[in-house]
Amino acid sequence: MQIVVKDLNFTYSAKTPFERQALKGVNLTINEGDFLGIIGHTGSGKSTFIMHLNGLFKLQSGEIDVFDIKLVPDKKKKSDLRRLRGTVGMVFQYPEYQLFEDTVEKDVAFGPKNMGLDAEEVSRRVKRAIELVGLDYEDIKDRAPFELSGGQKRRVAIAGIIAMQPKVLILDEPTAGLDPYGKEQILSLITHLKKECSPTVIVISHDVDEITRFANRIVVFNDGKVMFDLPMNELFRHADELHAVGLEIPKAVKIAQKLRERGVELEGDIVSLNDLLHAIVVAYNKKHMDKTVDENLNFSAFEFDKEISGTDGEDKR
Amino acid sequence: MAIPAIKLDNVSFSYPVSEGAEQKAVSGVSLEIEEGTFVALVGHNGSGKSTLAKLLNGLLVPTSGRVLVYGVDTADDKKIYDVRSSVGMVFQNPDNQMIATNVEDDIAFGPENLGVPREEIIKRVDWALEKVGMSQFRHATPFKMSGGQKQRLAIAGVLAIKPRVMVLDESTAMLDPKGRDEVMQVVKQLNREEKMTVVHITHYMDEALEADRLIVMNDGRIMLDGKPADVFAEHKLLTKIKLGVPCVTQLAVTLSEAGIAVDPRITDEEALVDSLCKLL
Repeated sequence: MQIVVKDLNFTYSAKTPFERQALKGVNLTINEGDFLGIIGHTGSGKSTFIMHLNGLFKLQSGEIDVFDIKLVPDKKKKSDLRRLRGTVGMVFQYPEYQLFEDTVEKDVAFGPKNMGLDAEEVSRRVKRAIELVGLDYEDIKDRAPFELSGGQKRRVAIAGIIAMQPKVLILDEPTAGLDPYGKEQILSLITHLKKECSPTVIVISHDVDEITRFANRIVVFNDGKVMFDLPMNELFRHADELHAVGLEIPKAVKIAQKLRERGVELEGDIVSLNDLLHAIVVAYNKKHMDKTVDENLNFSAFEFDKEISGTDGEDKR
Repeated sequence: MAIPAIKLDNVSFSYPVSEGAEQKAVSGVSLEIEEGTFVALVGHNGSGKSTLAKLLNGLLVPTSGRVLVYGVDTADDKKIYDVRSSVGMVFQNPDNQMIATNVEDDIAFGPENLGVPREEIIKRVDWALEKVGMSQFRHATPFKMSGGQKQRLAIAGVLAIKPRVMVLDESTAMLDPKGRDEVMQVVKQLNREEKMTVVHITHYMDEALEADRLIVMNDGRIMLDGKPADVFAEHKLLTKIKLGVPCVTQLAVTLSEAGIAVDPRITDEEALVDSLCKLL
């Protein structure tokens, strides 16, 4: 199963003074099981692109095929949007602003109810979704979403999408505005959801340091086009080109670059801080044979509740 | 000694939750901020840092204790305008702070409300726009701008009131890296050139590094307070209260703990690269 996008163009406010072409001939294939990161600066077209995958824009030109659901610009043929939205779950930026019901349970049930599922199936899915995002179902189901903390609200909003059991989960800036701990929790939640619920995950992020933690493949948008589509370890060999279009590179890549420029030999592709740490230790051990250091160093991150920490962190290809 | 810009004297604040019940957000905080310092304030969600920010210009008044802004008590109703003109606030979402349809009017709003004469307002608008590097947008509309531009505009709006202290309550949280950098540059420049006292509340530890002084809040209290390098040296404590340390420090600390002779207090990337080059 695949998502295939062919020659996708999109123009906002066509034939007005505000006309702006946001997508210019985008071609992209996303495979089932991909953990795809999308980066690009503001206005690069990345959000317009993902909204197409969920049928939020009418196709202007090009073709989209999402797991055999075909979207075409033809006005006479109706695309099967209901089935598409059950297949692709979309979590917008600041999804907690979308909560509207008076209890958590009702809010999470909104999506599956609209899919026309029977009451029993709906409540089964709601319970599972709430548990999947690491909340206590019995404790939280009757509470008003508005009395929850920011991080809890975001989880409830994500549960509302998960309850539709989408095969593809798309998240737009899922950690925006959270504190460091909240960020870590959401990141491990996403990895957990990929494993337990939605095998294909697409994440938009501004934070390259964050994206290096999970994605196996990164697509870079620039000026409405796909500029790069590479496995993570290859992408950051193009650091200068990324910098030229206003994108940051991960700190670990930057530090590794500086060390190499000054003649330090570091092995392998360095993308994450753990890669850098490992390479430094290996280089150190070569020079200091007499007192070597454990090569399996890892950053001690936060400790989480067991139910959401089911990550091995080694999802990269 | 000159009077501190801001002085908190055993300040506590509780939010009323329901009839008779309340939730304590700040407990017994005492603090002095000298004029001209750049203070960063960090803490996880719910640590009380935003409540503390709102106490600094009388948006909230302490349940007990006193907040003095240049010696003026924020609980004194008659002097609240003095307090608000001394301490300007920039919030998280710039859209919530925009009130006019063009840039000029938006910036003039503050001084107009303070009854500043027209000629002076025009001067201030020019000056404020120049300070945030947005002079060419004078007649533009804020609604079509990028997040970083909008936030710089919000800062200009606060500047036009000519405050002596600026409080930024997670003003970089919603911005992309470029926008964040724009805002930080403007704030640092105001601190340096105008001797503006800055209290910057942030989740980004790399931003906190750039301050003169770093205050860590936890559970409504001040847990650590000192130079950023000294505060980040307490990385274990910081992780325990759900905060991180900047990635250079994280790297230095991990290497040093593994037995490699790197100073765990390094916060600067160049310094880390230098010391690694000597070892490798």
